[in-house]
This record gives sequence, C-alpha cells and structure tokens, in this order.
Amino acid sequence: MSSTTSPTSRKRALLAATTAVLALAATASCSSSGSPGPAAGAGGKKIAMITGVKSDPFYITMTCAAQAEAKAKGIGFTADGSAQWDVSVQRPLIDSVGAAHPDGLMISPVDTAALTPSLKQIQASGTKIALVDTSVTDTSVGITRISSDNEKGGQVAADALAKQMGEKGSVIVISVKPGISTTDARIKGFSEEMAKYPGIKVLPTLYDNDLPATAASQIQSTLAAHPDLGGVFAGNTNTGQGVATGLAQAGKQGVVKVAAFDAEPDEITALKNGTLQVLVAQDPAAIGVQAVDELAAAFAGKPVQASIGTTMVAITKDNLNDPQIAKYVYKAAC
Amino acid sequence: MTTTETRPRPHAQTLVARTPPLLRRAAGIGELWTFLILAALVVFFTIAAPGKFFTAYDLTQIAVNAAIYLVLGVGMTYVVITAGIDLSIGSVLVLAAVAAGEWNIHHGGAAAGWGTVAICVAIALAVGAAWGALQGAVVATEKVPPLIVTLGGLGAALGIAELATGGQDPAEAAANNLQNTLGFGKLLGIPWLVILAAGVTLVFGLVLGLTRFGTHTFAIGSNPAASRRAGIRVGAHLVKVYALMGLLAGLGAVMWLASYGTTSIAGHSTDNLKVITAVVLGGTSLFGGRGSVLGTVIGVFIPAVLNTGLIVIGVQQYWQDVAVGVVLVAAVYIDQMRRRTRERS
Repeated sequence: MSSTTSPTSRKRALLAATTAVLALAATASCSSSGSPGPAAGAGGKKIAMITGVKSDPFYITMTCAAQAEAKAKGIGFTADGSAQWDVSVQRPLIDSVGAAHPDGLMISPVDTAALTPSLKQIQASGTKIALVDTSVTDTSVGITRISSDNEKGGQVAADALAKQMGEKGSVIVISVKPGISTTDARIKGFSEEMAKYPGIKVLPTLYDNDLPATAASQIQSTLAAHPDLGGVFAGNTNTGQGVATGLAQAGKQGVVKVAAFDAEPDEITALKNGTLQVLVAQDPAAIGVQAVDELAAAFAGKPVQASIGTTMVAITKDNLNDPQIAKYVYKAAC
Repeated sequence: MTTTETRPRPHAQTLVARTPPLLRRAAGIGELWTFLILAALVVFFTIAAPGKFFTAYDLTQIAVNAAIYLVLGVGMTYVVITAGIDLSIGSVLVLAAVAAGEWNIHHGGAAAGWGTVAICVAIALAVGAAWGALQGAVVATEKVPPLIVTLGGLGAALGIAELATGGQDPAEAAANNLQNTLGFGKLLGIPWLVILAAGVTLVFGLVLGLTRFGTHTFAIGSNPAASRRAGIRVGAHLVKVYALMGLLAGLGAVMWLASYGTTSIAGHSTDNLKVITAVVLGGTSLFGGRGSVLGTVIGVFIPAVLNTGLIVIGVQQYWQDVAVGVVLVAAVYIDQMRRRTRERS
C-alpha cells in the first residue's frame, strides 16, 4: 500500500503546490507587478522570469532588481517561481510561460538536464532565454548565462573557513542534492581549495534533500565518527539551519565552524549570534540587472555576452558593519 | 527506549483478556523479529565502528533526532490500526508551527516570556487537533477514503501556512525560553525532547493496550460493521483517532520550534512517508486491526540507526537510501512469513 501511496501523494502535493503558487502569485506584491497588458516603450517587449524557489530572499533580491531595471527600460515584466526546488514543480510554470510567448525569459532551472527539452521548445518559438543563477548542461540553450562564479565562491568559502578553523581538523560539505550546477561548482571549488591546506581533511560530501532534520542528524553522526570535525560547509539555508540545530544539540556550537552561502536576513541574524561563522554572499541584484540588460540588447539586435560571472564576498562577524560588505545582504521583500 | 521495554507485558495481557482470538494470536511476540533486526544493526555498527557508534553521545543524538518522528509515529499507529492513513502530518505540523510562530512573533519574539510560550504551545496543539478532527469527521462519513481526505489536507494545510507567511519562514518564530529548555535542555543528561517523546509513547502505548479506547481502535480496524453492531460509535471514534494524530502533529510542531527555532515550511514534505515507513516496519498492518506502539518505536529506530551507523562507518550516502529500502521490505517480508507459518500450525 505504501508503494501506491507515494506517487499519488506526490502528484497531489504537486497539484496543491502549483495551486498555492498561482494563488501566491496573485497576492505577492513583489512578483506580479508588471501587468501583462501593453507595456510602453521598447516596442512593448515583455520579459517573464521564473526563479528556483519563490520565497528565497536570494531570488527575491534578484527579482526586485530585474523588475526595477525592466521598468527603467520600459519593458513589461512578470515573475513567478517554484514553491519548492523540484523539477516537477517548475516544469508546469515553464510550460505556462511558454504558452504566453514572452519576448524574453529569465530562468533559474532547478536541474541541469531535465528541463532542457521544455526550454528548447520555448527558444524555438522565438523567445530569448537568459539563464540566471543556475544553468543547463546543453550549451545551445540561452543567449546568455549569468551567475555568480560559483567555483570561485567555493574557494572564497574554503579560505575563510580554513582561517576560522586554524587550518586544522576535518571538514565536511553538507549540500542539498547532487546535480545542481551551482552547488556542484561550489563544492568543487571548496574541495579543491581545501586540499591546499595540509592540516585539513575533507570528508565525503553528504546530501540532505533540503530537509533540516536530515542535516541535523547527519552532522551529529559525522561528529560521532570524526571528533576532530572543525568545519562545515552548508549548501543552503535549510541545511545551515539543520546543521546549527545539530551542533547545538551536540553542544558544539561555535567549536565547529560553519560556512554557508548567501546572506539572507536570518543568516545575518545567525552570523550575529554566533550560529554561523562565515557567509559567502553572492550579488543577486547584479545578476538580475545584467540579465535584463542582455535581453534588452538582444531585442535591439545588439551583441550579447554569452557568459557573465558576478562577484562574491566572504562576510564574517568582523566585517559585517563595513558598508562595502553590508550592501551584499539580501532583501526579504522589494 | 528503556521506557518501552517495560510495556509489552501489560499490552499483551490485556489483548489476551479483551480481544478476539485472532487478534490475540497476532499480538503476542509481534515485535520480536523487528526488534531482533534492530538489535542486529546495533551490534553490527558497534563492531564495525568500535568506540564511535555505541557511545552515550551517539545514542543520545539518535534519540534526539528520532524524537519528533516517534511522537508522530505514535499517532500514526492509531490511525493505521483503524485501517486508515494520514498523509497530512507534515503539513499539519507546519501549519501548527506557523500559527504558534506568528503568535510568538507578535508577542515578544525571541525574548518572549513564559506566558507567550504557554499560549504558543496551546495554539499549536489546538490547531493540530482541530485540523485532525476535521479530517476525521470527513473520514467518518465514509464517503471519502482517508487516503484522499488527508491528501487534500496535505495540500490545504501547507497552502494555508504558505499564505499566512508568504512562503517564507518568519524570523523569531520561537522564544529563547522554549529553545533553551525543551529544545536543547537536558535532565540528568537526557534531552527533554527525548523525555517528552518517551512520555508520549508510554502514555499512548498504554492507552492503546489497556483501555477501552484502544480496544475499540483495534475493533474498528478489524471490522467496522461488526464494531457498529456491537455498539461502538465508529464515526465518533474515528474523529477522536484523527484528532489525536493532529494533536501529536501539533506537539511535533512545538518540538520542532524548540529545536530548530524556525517553521521550516519546505522541510516537512516527506514526514508522512518516513512515519508510515516506521509504523509498517513495526508490524502494524496497513489493512487495520493489528499493530502496536512498541513496534512503531522499533520502526522509528531502524532507519535512524541505519542512517547514523552508515555515516559513522563511512559508507557513501547513496547506499543509505538503498539500505533503508531493503531493510523495510525485508522486515515486512520476514514478519509476514512468520505470521503465515504460525497461522498454519
């Protein structure tokens, strides 16, 4: 019976999730500003945006910046995003946008391969695609790919974490799931950079499927096996939350240093109260602005940069108040 | 774990005294085989990772991480014994956590006092129980199967939680008072989360085994029509059972807020599968009428021990999912073989 339960429940959950997304899209102020009606200027061009996780401040910051840039250029703009980081949740959104034939599509695909057919179909119908943040393996998709240089970000995280650990002990990466281009690149950069420290041993990467409870259990189990654990590199916010709880349960908070990506409001709080020690902030606003700029250039028939990498910065408790650093903190709403 | 080991005797006795012969035969040593599997796993990991697996630290952390699933599993055992199922528990937990969290945010935030904490706990329990009772009432009409009712509940509860929060986990959803006591506090070295879960397990294990409420639960799962003719108010009982599941999901929400400090809206999508796996591993029949809380305890700990043990001995993670799947199927297979052999003799 349990075997018949799970697929049905997934489908139903998907349906419910999609419905929730649609309902939220109607109410959320940030995401539905550009009305689909005739937009002024730029020949009434329209850009649609689909983010990876709708409620993630990283994507909210990106969406806000893109929206402002589109408005400034007189381009119509609509945005939506998956309720969860899941191919089966994002695909219906892509298909519905495809049916609307926008001039440009900004998308953060949640898988490196599974969404390629849908995107190719949209591209074939004349929509210009800009891949933002994440990308797909097939290089024929998209006129431009804009993301943080994630491998570099992994290196930045490794160096900052190694410094916090005093350059000795074991270190582990706990990430969301394999097969996501950005996190895979971060882990690669992190592991390669960590290998340069002779006193630090890199343990095999664990994946928690975005479940904080799993991350909490994994970090505590790792502590049992490796009492010299000195550092953790957490893949995302949920993972970071789980790792923090796991360390607190084990009484190791602050002893084991935690580095995480992004600079969301609650992560900043965690940094201030000592739950996290290193944040590697991306620049989502720059990604959003440049994607709109590149799409506008493509509409005008101007040359487009095929690949853009944006900068990253390590935030610690010490440099948090520096205005040059503080501008990287993400926003929870426009 | 120690609390549960004292329990099976009264459980078995009352079953002998109060239930029909078929049930009596099914109970007995129903949990022995799954317990042996659990024991074998513990022995294996203890030998494979000397000084790392079977330590006070590691056993404590396994228990802490299993605590919430144990509480949910106790409720699910009742539901499954009535031949029902509840897929909505993860969403109900999130909804209860969001309701309590929103109250906390507007009444002191992280620095909220004990009064606020008490109200938050009451809100979480009330929201969970109310949602469960609502689902139970629909199930009791016998017009919609429990699978569908709770599938609807799964989506609806999560949707409402997302509407209330804009899909984002609100900051300061849990008071420091709650986190520092229930979340990370210990009594004589045992975390409060574990004590609470053990208490809930003991109480509802005894209720299932010793009281008329428990006997009616078994009877309804075995044969609802006969139960009705025997004078049991089947509908009202189902409402109570689903409300109990909801109440425990609400308690799970309190425990989650205490230990994680956030509502984790996106972090509970597979709670239902985990908990149902545990209940089935524990020998509770999905067709109803048979099962025990003790079995569920073992069923919760088998995957927990596997996941921790495989990390401790350094097995690549992908094997962990394979191992849990294989053990699930094997445990149920052995259980069924044993039953069949016994029924033939």
